[in-house]
Amino acid sequence: MSKETIIAMLDCLIPGDTTGWPAAGQHGLSSRFLELLDSLFEQADKYLEIMLTELPDNFSALSTKQQTACLSSIESTQPDAFEAVLKACYAAYYTDPRIRQILEKKTGYEARPPQPEGYHLPPFDESLLEPVRARGPIWRKVP
Amino acid sequence: MAEAADIVIVGAGATGLAFAWRLANLQPDLRILLVERGDFVNQRNAASKKNDWELALQKSFHANPNIRKSAADYPVDESQTPIKPAFFNAVGGSTIRWGAHFPRFRPSDFCSFSQDDIAADWPLNYDDLAPYMDINDEMMGVSGLAGDPANPVRAERGHPPLGFCTGSRKLAEAANKLGWHWWPADAAIASTDSVVGRGACNNCGPCGIGCPRHARASADIAYLRAAQQVGVNLITCKIVKQIITINGEIKAVEVINQNGTIMKINCGELVLAGNALSTNILLRSIDGWHNQLLGQGLMLHPTAIVTGYFKEDLQSYAGPFATSIVSQQFCETDQARGFLRGFQMQVLRGQGPLSTALGGYGERLPWGAQHNRDFDSAFGRSISLTITCEDLPEAENRIEVDKSRLDKFGMPTARMIYRLGENSLKMRDFGIARAREWLVAAGAQKIVVTPLSEQAGFHLMGTAQMGSCAKKSVTRNDGRVHGFENLTIIDASVFVTSSPVNPTSTLQSLALRAADLMSARLAAA
Repeated sequence: MSKETIIAMLDCLIPGDTTGWPAAGQHGLSSRFLELLDSLFEQADKYLEIMLTELPDNFSALSTKQQTACLSSIESTQPDAFEAVLKACYAAYYTDPRIRQILEKKTGYEARPPQPEGYHLPPFDESLLEPVRARGPIWRKVP
Repeated sequence: MAEAADIVIVGAGATGLAFAWRLANLQPDLRILLVERGDFVNQRNAASKKNDWELALQKSFHANPNIRKSAADYPVDESQTPIKPAFFNAVGGSTIRWGAHFPRFRPSDFCSFSQDDIAADWPLNYDDLAPYMDINDEMMGVSGLAGDPANPVRAERGHPPLGFCTGSRKLAEAANKLGWHWWPADAAIASTDSVVGRGACNNCGPCGIGCPRHARASADIAYLRAAQQVGVNLITCKIVKQIITINGEIKAVEVINQNGTIMKINCGELVLAGNALSTNILLRSIDGWHNQLLGQGLMLHPTAIVTGYFKEDLQSYAGPFATSIVSQQFCETDQARGFLRGFQMQVLRGQGPLSTALGGYGERLPWGAQHNRDFDSAFGRSISLTITCEDLPEAENRIEVDKSRLDKFGMPTARMIYRLGENSLKMRDFGIARAREWLVAAGAQKIVVTPLSEQAGFHLMGTAQMGSCAKKSVTRNDGRVHGFENLTIIDASVFVTSSPVNPTSTLQSLALRAADLMSARLAAA
């Protein structure tokens, strides 16, 4: 499968939008996509071969509507290969540091690993339990 | 390398380590040897310290050994079960990979037959185990709050409850609106810095890929050093292949080394502490022994997941994923519901960006034009409820061992044969309706139901049930196999029924109790 086709396929899977999200292929994730497909799936080569066979040679030149129709068809006829490709695409996108920077700007979710900093949560508020306590025991006593 | 021990324990996980520690304290002169097929996991370097941490959940820390395929994993035939196997092979066992939710079985869980005329009673009761649960809580380090009206009175926990994210608080308030029970979940997670060598939980979320702060307990963190200090020995990357008997007495085990050579370890007592699958494989390696009940009554806690999507930010990426709120409103039998026994509901959170896109507990986000918009609506704005159903010990649900199909170590393959029984299906559907009700009361804009969580066979219970009658059970109430004086099982295969709650607290307390009973027996002999 040519790099051009992979980029077009990734762009069709995650096309980005006008709020700041880039398209996956144009964002330069094709190499990472291939690397992850290979590391996550033993049958990566087979799945790529299926996509190569199923996608038309001129896939990258098709309209978005036509590309979407091609991928939808593969999703129905070759679900295992398609799901693997989609998982690798999502994995490449959402673990990419620049995508995480965009996510931080949009949501405040910091572009860093969960550790070592973790996240702050307020201490448990015991007053929430007043109605539960007030109803009394509900467990069944047995002889 | 040890070639003889008084006590050989197969498996250095939740039960093996607890048992070894307890027995070594009671009988310091015993030579106790743990044999573990996996290796050590250095949780200080957990994947949660890396930017691409979520990838670990997809492969190297996937719950299913058939997907993970690490060096120590063995294949399980999962073609005849909708719930796939989920366990981890390492020092610490599946507690390396768990969420550390730590409820206790409740008194009625031990007497389903006498209370509800279904399944069977255990040959022991809640009061027999409660003192051991207290000891185990102290070793594991438990956060939570005393006074839960859905459980018997028990001691204060060592740590206060873990914090709530906005989503957990919303669900607590919604349960109050509905008049339902909820309580901050008991968690084997230190919420304060009070344990030496273990930092307080900092709410990072993905407990299942290991805890670099050692806040979340795993059996290796909680028990290994303490066990080694009282003389317990451990060998790793060794697979027990065969149990050797002479005249009906266990004499030794054959062990495969990493280089493929075989060694023999003579033993006075053999203790099986793996899981129901490995225990079934090993018991069937005993020449000339057969119990027709072995393998029957597999229980898996069928679990539905109902996910609510909210308009506002719930911060649901923060906080240990499995331990914020539990509801035991529907745990006890109410015949008007159309089924016997009950289910637990538990809040799940802690979804990172990739898990959100892949669906996590809800649905995989669509690709194409709407993908980014849907992601914006889902990330940090969804929270899930599990419906964990008490599974009944039905004979059709079972583990078989296929001696014609050998794995890379030359071991027979276990096959899980399982389907949801009628009682479980009715319970599950009722539970899904209640979870919907709860999420609607909390303000969810959209609700997605996963009727059966496939990759959730974490709780492999039954198949060597304990009982007082040798014709109706496989093991005695101390875990010893009927027909043997020196072969004991302490993994969850001895469970008689499954309760609707997570098993590890009860499982480890059974192991501690089994150590006491073995100690008394050996002392008397």
